[in-house]
Amino acid sequence: MSEDIDENITSLFQRILPLATSVLLLMISYIPLDFSLFNNIRPAIGIICVYFWVNHRPDLFNLWSVYFLGLLDDIISASPFGSNILALLVLYVLITNTSRFINAKPFIVTWYWFALLSMVTMLARWLVVSVYYSQFLPLTILGFSYLVTAAAYPLVSLLLAYIQNRWIQDEE
Amino acid sequence: MKRRRSLFIHLSHIRLLAQKFALVILFISAFALMLVNKTDTVLIEKTSSAATDIVSPVIDVLVIPAKVVARFYDYFKDLKEIHADNQRLKEENRKLNNLFDRARALEIENKLLADLLNYVTPPEASFVTARVIAEEGDAFSHSIVAYIGGSKVRKGQVALSDKGVVGRVDRMGKMYARIILITDINSKIPVMVEKTRVRGILSGDNTTTPKMIFIPLDAEIAIGDRIVTSGVAGVFPAGLPVGKVVSLDKNEIRIKPFSNLDQLEYIKLVDYGLSGALVDADEGAE
Repeated sequence: MSEDIDENITSLFQRILPLATSVLLLMISYIPLDFSLFNNIRPAIGIICVYFWVNHRPDLFNLWSVYFLGLLDDIISASPFGSNILALLVLYVLITNTSRFINAKPFIVTWYWFALLSMVTMLARWLVVSVYYSQFLPLTILGFSYLVTAAAYPLVSLLLAYIQNRWIQDEE
Repeated sequence: MKRRRSLFIHLSHIRLLAQKFALVILFISAFALMLVNKTDTVLIEKTSSAATDIVSPVIDVLVIPAKVVARFYDYFKDLKEIHADNQRLKEENRKLNNLFDRARALEIENKLLADLLNYVTPPEASFVTARVIAEEGDAFSHSIVAYIGGSKVRKGQVALSDKGVVGRVDRMGKMYARIILITDINSKIPVMVEKTRVRGILSGDNTTTPKMIFIPLDAEIAIGDRIVTSGVAGVFPAGLPVGKVVSLDKNEIRIKPFSNLDQLEYIKLVDYGLSGALVDADEGAE
């Protein structure tokens, strides 16, 4: 009986872990630091987490998780409500339709693919928000933000891969 | 066996359809949220404020270890510069003492002149000091979230740092308030050039140097001119320092804020008892 309960708790923990780590990392990314460059150009943690988990564990990080993460990002940030959700949904569609091409490929390929998809996602959001405000948003800052996001991917994915290998087991 | 297989195929087909349907619904809901936000209804504002009140305490807790690390780093960095700082502060103190004497003389003179003109002094402003717990500055928005700890704060109240205006209160929950920075695309502040009194609007565009717009064609503005609030529209009082002119182009004038908006730790939310145009907007919304 107690073994069943333990098993259920472990299974629940494993199921919520991808979303929980993404939420935690997203919140950490908003912490103010005494480092002016970082405060202006932060990596888009939401994009990194969605790309990693939808690619590696689509069973544990589904469409609703993507929506929730986007909603949370919208709540924390002051950008138009719904724009983060929209961007992450675009990324979700892109990943689910292309993940078969990068399955079991070396890390460098996954990284290049991330660089491409995150660029499309960020440009899609830039376009939507520009239409929302009826004026083009600064592309330079977006460009730097994109580069920082692409550069941060190996580090964040290393952390997420560690979490996956350490705490999430494959279903038999 | 064949029947079972066809049932399985049928079920997986339905599941795929449902998933596609859910995706479309979620896309539509995201667009709908943006449209509702655009109309700026009270509903989305209240929902967002309540949600910020729920999410912000978590970030507030996460800030603690980051601050401890940053403080250690600062401590060792400061140790290196302590002697030079001491010399600089002594010199600064000497200058400030001179300025204080001058200010006291001017204050007395001002009081005498005010009495002579029968001038009614405005009521003193009240303020709340708030700790910054979340910061955001990218191509899409520039804002901060500050802990107000249950103090009464109104929408539109001015947010100041030790150097000048940093923004205005946009949304407030019970314990936390969101402040839109002067660099944000939604920020529009009536300002003027301190020296020439030329008026304009400081308009953020999500870059680090907002633009000054709606300036008369024959206005005399030079690089380095100080920009202060003009008090037009009655939301901000006149004379609060904002920034200085850093670039003059044919089409635009860029202002660098006095406050370092990237490294705000504490801000002052000041209530000057002014609500100006915001009262009408709020009444309209209700």
